[in-house]
Amino acid sequence: MSATEAAPRVETPTIGVGRIGPVWMLVPALVLLIGFFVLPYLSIITMSLREASTRAVYGEGFTLAHYATALGDPFIWRILGRTLLMGAIVTVVTLLLGYPVAYHLANSRSRWTSLLYIFVLSPLLVGLVVRTFAWMIILSNNGVANKALMAMGLVVFPLQLMNNSLGVTIALTHVFLPFVILPLLGNLQAISPDLAMASRSLGNSRMRTFLKVTLPLSLPGIQAGSILVFVLSISAYVTPAMLGGTGGRTMSVLVVQYLVDNFRWPAGAALAIIMAIVALIVVGLYLKLTARAMRRLP
Amino acid sequence: MRGAGGVEKTIWDRLFLVLVAAIYIFLMFPIVLVVLLSFNSGEFLAFPLEGFSLRWFEALFSNTRFLEATSYSLRIAAISMIVNGVIGTLAAIYVARHAGNNRDRIRLVMTSPLLVPEILTAIALLFYFYEIGIGTDYSIGIQLGHIVVTFPYVFLNVSSALFNFDRSQEEAARSLGAGGWMTFRRVTLPAIKPGIITGCLFAFVISFDIFNISLLLKSLGRNTLPLELFDYLRFNFDPTAAAIASLSIFLTFAAILIIDRTVGLRSLRF
Amino acid sequence: MTALTIDRINKRYGDLHILKDISVPIGKGEFISLLGPSGCGKTTTLRCIAGFERPDSGRILFGDRDVTRALPEHRDIGMVFQSYALFPHMTVAENLAFGLEARKVAPAERKRRIAEVLSMVRLQGYEARFPRELSGGQQQRVALARALVIEPSVLLLDEPLANLDATLRDEMRFFIRDLQQRVGITSIYVTHDQSEAMVMSDKIVVMNGGVISQFGSPRDIYERPASQTVAGFIGRSNTIAGTITETLGADSYKVETSCGTIGTHGPSGLARGADVRVMIRPENIRTGRHGEAADAPASDENMLGGSVVSATYQGNATQLQVRMASGDGMVVDVSGRDPLAVGDQVTLRFSSRNAWLLAS
Repeated sequence: MSATEAAPRVETPTIGVGRIGPVWMLVPALVLLIGFFVLPYLSIITMSLREASTRAVYGEGFTLAHYATALGDPFIWRILGRTLLMGAIVTVVTLLLGYPVAYHLANSRSRWTSLLYIFVLSPLLVGLVVRTFAWMIILSNNGVANKALMAMGLVVFPLQLMNNSLGVTIALTHVFLPFVILPLLGNLQAISPDLAMASRSLGNSRMRTFLKVTLPLSLPGIQAGSILVFVLSISAYVTPAMLGGTGGRTMSVLVVQYLVDNFRWPAGAALAIIMAIVALIVVGLYLKLTARAMRRLP
Repeated sequence: MRGAGGVEKTIWDRLFLVLVAAIYIFLMFPIVLVVLLSFNSGEFLAFPLEGFSLRWFEALFSNTRFLEATSYSLRIAAISMIVNGVIGTLAAIYVARHAGNNRDRIRLVMTSPLLVPEILTAIALLFYFYEIGIGTDYSIGIQLGHIVVTFPYVFLNVSSALFNFDRSQEEAARSLGAGGWMTFRRVTLPAIKPGIITGCLFAFVISFDIFNISLLLKSLGRNTLPLELFDYLRFNFDPTAAAIASLSIFLTFAAILIIDRTVGLRSLRF
Repeated sequence: MTALTIDRINKRYGDLHILKDISVPIGKGEFISLLGPSGCGKTTTLRCIAGFERPDSGRILFGDRDVTRALPEHRDIGMVFQSYALFPHMTVAENLAFGLEARKVAPAERKRRIAEVLSMVRLQGYEARFPRELSGGQQQRVALARALVIEPSVLLLDEPLANLDATLRDEMRFFIRDLQQRVGITSIYVTHDQSEAMVMSDKIVVMNGGVISQFGSPRDIYERPASQTVAGFIGRSNTIAGTITETLGADSYKVETSCGTIGTHGPSGLARGADVRVMIRPENIRTGRHGEAADAPASDENMLGGSVVSATYQGNATQLQVRMASGDGMVVDVSGRDPLAVGDQVTLRFSSRNAWLLAS
């Protein structure tokens, strides 16, 4: 046999560099994420166990005292409860408002669909401070809302819509509405149009088709959207900070206060961990409860 | 659900449309409000508008603090975009082509910043940088924070573009005699370019608006634009703030329009 | 020396043994089809030839060049894909130029070759169009042109017509075959469509479950299939089980079946007493009403009796289902309209040359 022309080489198409192989493409991202994301989370845990100090952000030694103090403090529990309640209300309201929009968008075929899509997406990208600021304009005592209500004669004195939980809840609903619309939209679009047609051909009304076919099939989207909004709501900072005043303070606001205003880093870390664990428990319970409902889905 | 409606337009359909329209208005209303008020010639952030004026934009442009904050934000956003553009694209290519059995695990790590609340990441980084000695004296801390949090956007968009790309084009190129690099440069890269651009634009816009990370990792005396606005609003409540907000909104809409014209909004991945 | 040799290649994916000792010699300028159902290994074989898969063992030779381990870009192949794989961001001319650029062909020569190949595929003047502006058939022709313009030693086609509608497919079959013959390029064509393989190929490789069932000319495969699988895969056939009672000459045999003794032809070397199946193609059977005055049977003609179960008129032919005395069913294609009706007693006549033995 005469000599080969082509030299024998690895034959799977790769963009290897010398001997290293394609792994080099992943390394920078991996370094970034492990080094500046995964590891930092471990340091919250370590920080929460450190001793407090009056002269520096933390002192020598380790202790569980911060957890003990926090868990025994009724003030903390009140704030935690308020945060969770707000999260729950925001989640429910955004679901109720977001589902019709997602449904409409999923079935929309006009040229305006793109524009409507922009309507849904743009609040997301405009920036939290800007959006919360807009709500300050609307909710303040001589803001748009109160002026309108008074002009219509519905109230005599301006309602306290700001610096409390109510204002925060309203604003958070607005801020996170797109986050529930998008997963729902994706889910609804994935449902084959044939299913609804089959249901109607069998004699079901549109309402029945919706309740028995569409709604159950959209449960994964509902689940995903509600978890997303809930977690975002309870961990929100900007909106409660700007709109909540003292009456609408949430856990995030409290933690930042500890860290930035009071330099009580270990205590703040412990609060952050408590909040994260509570969130995980709530989400876990929610998943368990909804798992039964989702069992029949493919 | 398409096509299931039949031709009937009952009263319920109309009510439904009214409801949906109301929610769309609810979504857009605050933003429209802010933009309108930024052009108000009056002193207050209140209706009715007194007249049309650009004075608040003028005030904004002569406010050095805001200008500095804007350029700081732009710089951080630009660096985040460029760094993530490169490492995010590389990582996406690796995961799409070479990851094999580890693919899901690696994807999870790559998108993990999206799965946790930003405030927690901010706190984690604050402690971490302090512990490893970087601290917040220099901008490296806040820059790294922005890069980490915006990385998944580039990764996901490029991954999506790669997923939709027909690999037989690569094979065709190689069967025609093009080596690995030529194939990548002239066939694959042009095809995934929209995904890269979208991801980069996303990274830029989101970095520009980041608050929590910036709040905790900022160095003394240097604010990003959202932080500057936040501080300003503590003590002032005038249309200057509305002017900044408007500019921010215009920037975002410009970015969205570019994305829609080049790739179409439906191809976006969060 | 063959233009292309596939020598005992094997390929496994985990537990699946996709290719088992596949060997095919291919002469210069031949058009070979790899034919078989999905999963038979035909596409894997093609991809091994192209270099996108590496066989676990065995060799692939282009002429006397061992390319088994060579990268695809070094093999001098031209490949046409089922999805066309045209580069959407390049014009037709740029698509065609791409391979020429990789081979460092000078710009003037590139232009000349592109113009030449475009007129070969009857797309002159389309240089500046983009793939999305072309119809499916046009895109397929551009894909073909792109593979040919680089003048490779081997042309590989992976079910290129699968995405086209039936009329276009017919047209393109002749087009491709005609072009291939004019250019004289060795070609390997993967398809699951047996009529396509029959119409286009010099030789067909029938594959099943990773093995080659038969390798031969279309005529060989149709008239003398090597096994019942091949017989069933190409065209329609009647098969009757039987045992060899006599060998007459090199390839003639008398076979005892439940329908009577049949004179047959088969592969040489079969022994008396061997269990076989007799294959008769439906179009090779003549019918006559039972009891009617008919020509005397020729010396090599078989005659069997049965009754008509159904008669389906198809325009150019009538398909009869006949039940033999033994209970076996036979399908007969009669041209035009047949006067036979359901229930009629009928005599089936076929030459022993048309009764082919399949080893069980």
